[in-house]
Amino acid sequence: MTGIATAVDIALNSLVLGGVFLIVAIGLNIIYGLSRVMNLAHGSLFAIGAYTGYTLVASGLNFFVALLITPIIAGFVGLILERMIIAPMRKRSMIYTLILTYGLMFFLDGMIKQTWGNEPRFIELPIFMGETLSILGTHYPVFRLVTLAITAVVMIALMLFLNKTRLGIILRAASTIPEMVSCLGFNMNYVHIGAFVLGSALAGVAGIIAGPLTTIDPLMGHEMLISSFVVIVIGGLGSLRGAVYAAILIGVVQTLAEFFITDLAMVIVYMMMAVILAFRPLGLLGEGKFE
Amino acid sequence: MRKVLKISLCVAIVFLLVIPQLAVAEDPVKIGVLVPLTGIVAQGGLEMKYGIEMAAAEKGTVLGRPIELLVEDTQVKPPIAVTKAEKLVYKDDCKALIGVFSSGVGLAISKNIDKLNVPFLSTHVMTTKFYSLHPLVFRSGQLANDQTAVGNVKGIIARPDLKDRNYYVIVHDYSWGHDAGERFIALAKENGIKIYNEDYDKAPIKTKDWSSYISKIKASGVDGIYMAFITNVIPVFAKQAADFGLQAQGIKLVSAAAPGPLELEAGGEACYGIFGASDWSWDVNNPISDKWELDFFEKYKTIPSDAAVHSYVGAMNLFNAIEKAGNTDAKAIADALRGISYDGPYGTVRISAKDNCMRNDAVLTETMAAPDNPFGAKVYMKVLETFKAEELGPPE
Amino acid sequence: MMSDITSIPGDRPSAAPIKIFGFAAIFLALAILPFVWDNRFYISLITQIMIYGLLAMSLDVLLGYTGLLSFMHNAYLGIGAYMVGLFLIHVSPTSLWLACLVGVIFTGAVALPVGWVQVRTGGLAFALLTLAFGMMFHTIVWKWYSVTGGDDGLMGVPSPDIQLFRWTVGNTGDPTHIYLLTLVVVAICFVLTRRIIRSPFGAVLEAIRENEERAAFVGINVRRYKLYGWMLACILAGIAGALFILYKGYIGPTTMSAFAGAGVLMMVLLGGMGSLWGPLIGAGIFIYIQDYITTMTEHWEIYLGLVVILLVLFMPTGFVGMGSYLKRMRRN
Repeated sequence: MTGIATAVDIALNSLVLGGVFLIVAIGLNIIYGLSRVMNLAHGSLFAIGAYTGYTLVASGLNFFVALLITPIIAGFVGLILERMIIAPMRKRSMIYTLILTYGLMFFLDGMIKQTWGNEPRFIELPIFMGETLSILGTHYPVFRLVTLAITAVVMIALMLFLNKTRLGIILRAASTIPEMVSCLGFNMNYVHIGAFVLGSALAGVAGIIAGPLTTIDPLMGHEMLISSFVVIVIGGLGSLRGAVYAAILIGVVQTLAEFFITDLAMVIVYMMMAVILAFRPLGLLGEGKFE
Repeated sequence: MRKVLKISLCVAIVFLLVIPQLAVAEDPVKIGVLVPLTGIVAQGGLEMKYGIEMAAAEKGTVLGRPIELLVEDTQVKPPIAVTKAEKLVYKDDCKALIGVFSSGVGLAISKNIDKLNVPFLSTHVMTTKFYSLHPLVFRSGQLANDQTAVGNVKGIIARPDLKDRNYYVIVHDYSWGHDAGERFIALAKENGIKIYNEDYDKAPIKTKDWSSYISKIKASGVDGIYMAFITNVIPVFAKQAADFGLQAQGIKLVSAAAPGPLELEAGGEACYGIFGASDWSWDVNNPISDKWELDFFEKYKTIPSDAAVHSYVGAMNLFNAIEKAGNTDAKAIADALRGISYDGPYGTVRISAKDNCMRNDAVLTETMAAPDNPFGAKVYMKVLETFKAEELGPPE
Repeated sequence: MMSDITSIPGDRPSAAPIKIFGFAAIFLALAILPFVWDNRFYISLITQIMIYGLLAMSLDVLLGYTGLLSFMHNAYLGIGAYMVGLFLIHVSPTSLWLACLVGVIFTGAVALPVGWVQVRTGGLAFALLTLAFGMMFHTIVWKWYSVTGGDDGLMGVPSPDIQLFRWTVGNTGDPTHIYLLTLVVVAICFVLTRRIIRSPFGAVLEAIRENEERAAFVGINVRRYKLYGWMLACILAGIAGALFILYKGYIGPTTMSAFAGAGVLMMVLLGGMGSLWGPLIGAGIFIYIQDYITTMTEHWEIYLGLVVILLVLFMPTGFVGMGSYLKRMRRN
């Protein structure tokens, strides 16, 4: 294998990895930015998305149809959780919602295990996606490229939604000056619900696209929660653009580190996080730039 | 004469009165079962639990007293496992501990065994540090790393499709993985098998996305991979390697641990062609094995796995040792365990009196499409070669 | 700072006799316990509760009194424990007090530069920095196999004798002895911390929690006092770490994970912030519930999650009345 082929491999790997981090982290960031809730159960929603996708595909649906249905189901789960558990605690300090969602994480992980069992699951992909594609001398799996495309579509759609639609503009305004938005006659409750549903739906999408990339097991949410936490902390809490930069940065650094200094890969990632935060305590783009 | 009659009558009455009462008053013999029921190897832990439960149900009683199993979840975390072991021994008065997945957990419990003061028989710890570790610590279960390495190296040499390859070694980053990697590399070098990276890769147990490692293997240009991963990660890695077309390019996978059957099912076709030494697979054909696997499937409705079978055999060895000891004293059971053996689904499993670890026959297997079988399995571990216990060592 | 404790004016009365009496009664009851109740498991469990109680109490110094949130305070327990363990293994297997001293000083030495960086921020940024540094320490411990034992943890830590002025009074390997040692150390830490918190120094910390800007205006060096608060909390966590390694004879990276850190936060909230003794009770409840549920069912995650959710929803103030604290939090 040539050097170029390896370089292509590494570049694509880091984009795919960063892409999944990004979708999960953006969801977490939207929830935080709009309702100031740090949702520790976000990883579990990601796992629920993956398992839902698996169940839908296993029951005979096309992967792409499942890709559309999964976020709706995940969003619905998010809606129920918000109304039943998060909303009553909203007036309290953030620490309480933090611990509340910590409990929620255990509960959901347990339910996932109860429902789907311990063994890993794999999502059956359409035949063409199981092939590899030859790019500059390397054979790269087609579905990983499809994942990249889906990530791009989701991010562009989200950008258009937040910048071009009325609802999106209200949401952005609500993240900076919630009082003003309430004064204009919009019920902040709906903003909070909307944030949770949108965030959960994004976690669901990430779950179904991460399913074939890795493996679906009851613990998948834990790792993803930590990784997406690193992303939003580096990017700046509530900052969507920061999350994009940070996700790509983490994707690239982690992939490169795993390739070249394999054994110390994660140490490098966390050290980088500590160093960045030591100089920019609010992350690369600072807190709350919801754009 | 009357005196003799009187005395014998008295004795008879005493016997009649006392013996049933003794039998009733006899508490069950409590055995502590430590298995992971949550965390990364939860499925393996469940299968271990099934195996031990099946042995207890079959055995029924020891020393005329019923066997009672108390199961605790180790969560594969050493500090929690030690707390649970203390609970089983101090609070529940268990007379022996059995089970344990992960060398880290096994070693942590062994470090506390003086305090606990009960025999501890591991059915799933593979590290070579367990040999002669402590008079109360035993292994009767999965092959140890040195035995697996011997089996795998013998297998590689015996098979033309595996010989003359350059192997890339990648392991899970904890004591078992390191031990397995080093054992294999040392033995492979002695036997002229080429190793690409003697300074082998150590991947975190939490790794989900193996693409960087796979790219690295692709770039290295090797044609064989030796992997020491926790059982349920084997199919995950194999699947991702297949996605990148590694197997299609003719790269062979040799595994230091046997993959779990449910994980193989999940991985499907991507999991064909993984070689590895193991003590048992349901392809092992002998009357005891054939009966055992059907009984197991009947009872638990899940494909019989090697984790279940060696936990079963280990439990049988323990129960028989308690019977042989005649009481539940820790030292007596330990003495009885040394040298005991059990004829089970994979032949005679004998616990060496020299180093407290078992010796048994083993097989080299390759995963492939399964023939028709009662369990509905689509992938199975086909038996390629059989090794005798003496071949695998270590010498006594 | 310590010398003028007694001269504090009216609104900060020194502990009432009834409180001292209550404290002494609890201490004595706990001290007698292992001699009347011969159950090694529960003695061991209470030891664990006291150690985590000390850790939770140290987090309370930070959270309840200084108003700073640390996500991963368990990292400093871990650092202390590893250092004491390494000292006992490599330097001297018998010097208990020296090992503890080295461990606690080392914890302080690590916490100092981290604290120096952290106190330049406040609020959320501070909390996130604790997470970043905590995870860094966790990964270092987890990957530095040759020193820390990596994922397997530090094993084979010897149990030194407990010596007091040449007399050997016990051995840390004995469950009862380590229980009593833990009890004494935790009680001393509790009394000392309480005195420090009730001193003018504590008042400064609370002033910072209430209103950082105003505190700065009256001439308090906010950063310096935040750093003092942080160091106090980390050193207490280091002491808890020393006890932990002596009690378990083992420490692994999972003890230092982010999830374990959230558990410590849970203990503080369950017991109630800003009281010092609340977190001790919180640790007891949390550890007991966890132990009980994990034995009951293999699906313990569901029930533990439910218990946590219900407790936060219906008993958010913890066991210590802390309505006033909540009001303050709301006002901020």
